[in-house]
Amino acid sequence: MSKLIELKGITKSFDGECVLNSINLYIRDGEFITLLGPSGCGKTTTLRIIGGFETADEGELYFDGHEISDVPPHKRQVNTVFQKYALFPHLNVYENIAFPLRMKKFSEEDIKTRVTDMLKMVALVGFENKSVSTLSGGQQQRVAIARALVSHPKVLLLDEPLGALDLKLRKDMQNELKTIQKAIGITFIYVTHDQEEALSMSDTVVVMADGEIQQIGTPTDIYNEPKNAFVADFIGESNIVDGIMLEDKRVRMSGHTFTCVDGGYAKNEPVDVVVRPEDVDVVKPEDGMLTGIVTNVTFKGVHYEIIVDIGGFKWMIQSTDYVAPDEKIGLFIEPDAIHIMKKSKYSGMFGDYSSFSDEIDQLSDADTAEEF
Amino acid sequence: MKKKSIMHSIAAAPHIFWAALFIILPLIIVIFYAFTDAEGNFSFENILGLSEYGNIFLLSIELSVIATFICLLVGYPLAYIIAKADAKKQKFFIMLLMLPMWTNLLIRTYSIMAILDDGGFLNNLLNTELHIIGTKGAVIFGMVYDFLPYMVLPIYTCISKIPKNMWEAASDLGCSPIRVLTKVIFPLSMSGVISGVTMVFVPSISTFYISQKLGGGTFELIGDTIERQFVSSALNTGAAISFVMMILILISISVMNKFSDPDDGGIII
Repeated sequence: MSKLIELKGITKSFDGECVLNSINLYIRDGEFITLLGPSGCGKTTTLRIIGGFETADEGELYFDGHEISDVPPHKRQVNTVFQKYALFPHLNVYENIAFPLRMKKFSEEDIKTRVTDMLKMVALVGFENKSVSTLSGGQQQRVAIARALVSHPKVLLLDEPLGALDLKLRKDMQNELKTIQKAIGITFIYVTHDQEEALSMSDTVVVMADGEIQQIGTPTDIYNEPKNAFVADFIGESNIVDGIMLEDKRVRMSGHTFTCVDGGYAKNEPVDVVVRPEDVDVVKPEDGMLTGIVTNVTFKGVHYEIIVDIGGFKWMIQSTDYVAPDEKIGLFIEPDAIHIMKKSKYSGMFGDYSSFSDEIDQLSDADTAEEF
Repeated sequence: MKKKSIMHSIAAAPHIFWAALFIILPLIIVIFYAFTDAEGNFSFENILGLSEYGNIFLLSIELSVIATFICLLVGYPLAYIIAKADAKKQKFFIMLLMLPMWTNLLIRTYSIMAILDDGGFLNNLLNTELHIIGTKGAVIFGMVYDFLPYMVLPIYTCISKIPKNMWEAASDLGCSPIRVLTKVIFPLSMSGVISGVTMVFVPSISTFYISQKLGGGTFELIGDTIERQFVSSALNTGAAISFVMMILILISISVMNKFSDPDDGGIII
């Protein structure tokens, strides 16, 4: 797969505030790539620069080998599915989808063939003459996708397209988008703050924070080998503990020396150690590598979410076995469940569950959803 | 629930009373006079006798249609430019637009007269002897000058309410900047255009002081005729003309509303 889009040193500020700090990224032809990050991380701005709605202050943007920073949006071979769909209320479903073809002066016959194909693809046959304002959110979304794809762009940009849909519909649309992308084989650049969405749909995930790219990789890489504390915390749940690398494959944390599989660090180098909650086994206190007191247990359906106090640091453990609060338990961790990361500016900011609350997480999610 | 509805009717009472006294009742009086003769007997005479005013009706329609058209031609680009300016400039432009409205309409019309008069400011300035007052052009100019803000404001409001992503979507889907305007923004601002056109056309067709002052006495528009009838106590004829005018305006507004977005509903009706 060849490089279709390349961003070199893209920098952008709004009102003196740096939103993107020298972004370098290339996107291959035909891949499903997701820009993932919390609100304000610069993911949407990156997408808007590719779409042509913003111009970078510095840096170069290549499309198929050509610099396109000065090319206006209507001349780019890139179409966008907007967050709130942006369907034209004065046109019906058929005319909305036909719109880009009319702008390109297609014949009436070609328009009919292509629009009908699109309607079939998004399962909206029979909706041609409906007014877009009478459609449900999911249906509007399909029209938006059909309208963006009908003129066969080389790249489809999707700006949190599922943000306004309810959970069930989101899941269905995720599958549908992935199916569409595979069927037509063009590049999708997808922006979301939902890590689960990113992991389940993408070929490549780009994790962004504070206007910088934190990590680029496949979903498995990003989950299993996070580069720093930010990525480890943002993708899934993580216990991030201060540790010292005694030598290759031996790390000391929480008063115990563990065997791990990572190496290549200096002797006695301070590191961040990541342990995923599902990789910790609960054992009897005397069999544990670490021991702690259970402070909180929440039933989550598939498993229990257990918060354990180990020497003042609170770990999260997911286990299918019930343990009672205030019980003393032992923790057993396999070597390959331990992931070592270099210290970064995000060290110490994440990964301790002392102030953890699901409600707070959900509240802040709702905030970000409304903000955009 | 019942208690609440009593409260509602008590709250609504003053408004209903007001509407009945100052809107419904005068309408009934106008219709009553239009269909009675001087003795108060029912009669179609007034309405049938209106044919002699046919030319005045036509002239009024001609001038107000031209004035409305010019207002639209000037007003739409102006509204568009204001709506696209940044927030600070928008406030400033809107203030400039409203500024003349702080002065009474009559005084403004007199000022135009003073400027355009044969020995007036403009002729003195240019050292010419242009004869402007008393022409159709002067009356149309007066209408445009007086009523332009009523065209610009609704269109401006409408354009500035169009979400930013509509502009972006249009451009993304292949519209050049001109086509963004003609294919998306203009159709989406249609309800503003309709209310602008209505708000300029209605006062234009019924105006009397603009034609009196700027027409220099050579024109009589339908507003003048109505005024003349009432001043000379020909109440029945005046009422009949007013009644026909109302019907005409009603028809033109409902025709215009046919073009507006059904979701927005009629602006006036």
